[in-house]
Amino acid sequence: MANPNTKFLVVDDFSTMRRIVRNLLKELGYTNVDEAEDGVIALNKLKGGGFEFVVSDWNMPNMDGLTLLQNIRADAELAKIPVLMVTAEAKKENIIAAAQAGANGYVVKPFTAATLDEKLSKIFEKLEKAGA
Amino acid sequence: MTGETLQQQALQAELIQASAPNDDMLSRIGHVTRMLHDSLQGLGLDKILEQVAQDIPDARDRLAYVARMTEQAAERVLNATDAAIPLQDELASGATALQQRWKAVLAEPSLKSEYNLAADETLAFLAMTGKHTAETKALLMDIMMAQDFQDLTGQVIKKITGLAQDLEKQLVQVLVDFSPAKPKKDGEANKVESNDAALLMNGPQIDPTVADVVASQEQVDDLLDSLGF
Repeated sequence: MANPNTKFLVVDDFSTMRRIVRNLLKELGYTNVDEAEDGVIALNKLKGGGFEFVVSDWNMPNMDGLTLLQNIRADAELAKIPVLMVTAEAKKENIIAAAQAGANGYVVKPFTAATLDEKLSKIFEKLEKAGA
Repeated sequence: MTGETLQQQALQAELIQASAPNDDMLSRIGHVTRMLHDSLQGLGLDKILEQVAQDIPDARDRLAYVARMTEQAAERVLNATDAAIPLQDELASGATALQQRWKAVLAEPSLKSEYNLAADETLAFLAMTGKHTAETKALLMDIMMAQDFQDLTGQVIKKITGLAQDLEKQLVQVLVDFSPAKPKKDGEANKVESNDAALLMNGPQIDPTVADVVASQEQVDDLLDSLGF
């Protein structure tokens, strides 16, 4: 597990899913979690600073998750924040588009707590290696 | 074979061969449209279309009701699990603390055997409490995870609602264009807007056997691996 104080932003237009992801993160030991209900709100919160990890849905009103990811990668201040896509979009072209846009991981809904744990660990592991 | 069908076939054949100027083509399309309009009226299809257009908002309301009710149910379950999990945590940590204390007390040599027996039973109970609270908590997490259906069914319902809305708009447009009271307008067709972003937002895949759809997280991982991620 990475630093338990890692600040997460959970982006999803469904409050049910935001609560589930927040609870799962808490169960994994991460209690520093904020929420946003679409890409626009998320981007504003991210620009406010302090966030170290983004877990985002794809299909959302105002700004979708892919556009959010592209905006994050295009912003010098935010570009390095890891982004894990957690979405019901399960077409190959979606996964390819997300990978090309610079997503750090891709989880298809419905998912299990174990899957989320595994993907988070993998991302943190890679980041540690890259940083070392 | 009716005279009308023959007429249509003749028209089609002419249209295919048509190298005529645009005006000629448009007038012929106008002619076909008029014919279609007359047939629709003759068959009473305009009434049926009107009925369908009226039924769609009703179907939409019902879907919205399903979305609302499932969301409420999911919220209630989440509220309950949110409340129950800390209670289980408290029980678990209380049991562990008591267990430690009794172990410490029993480490003293001067105590009577009856006392030891009671203490052993208490210890057994505390051990069970610890085991059961852990199991209950796992079940509560399961219950919480099961609520993800609300997000998924909600997305499907939103998608269908959107389709119904488009269909309704187009049907109403058909009725407007072909209503007997008004002359036909040579208007632009209702263009369905679609762009790349929309093509990537399909919501949950109901049928994982469709081509170009991943059926499991493993397949997502394999695809990402093959892309070098």
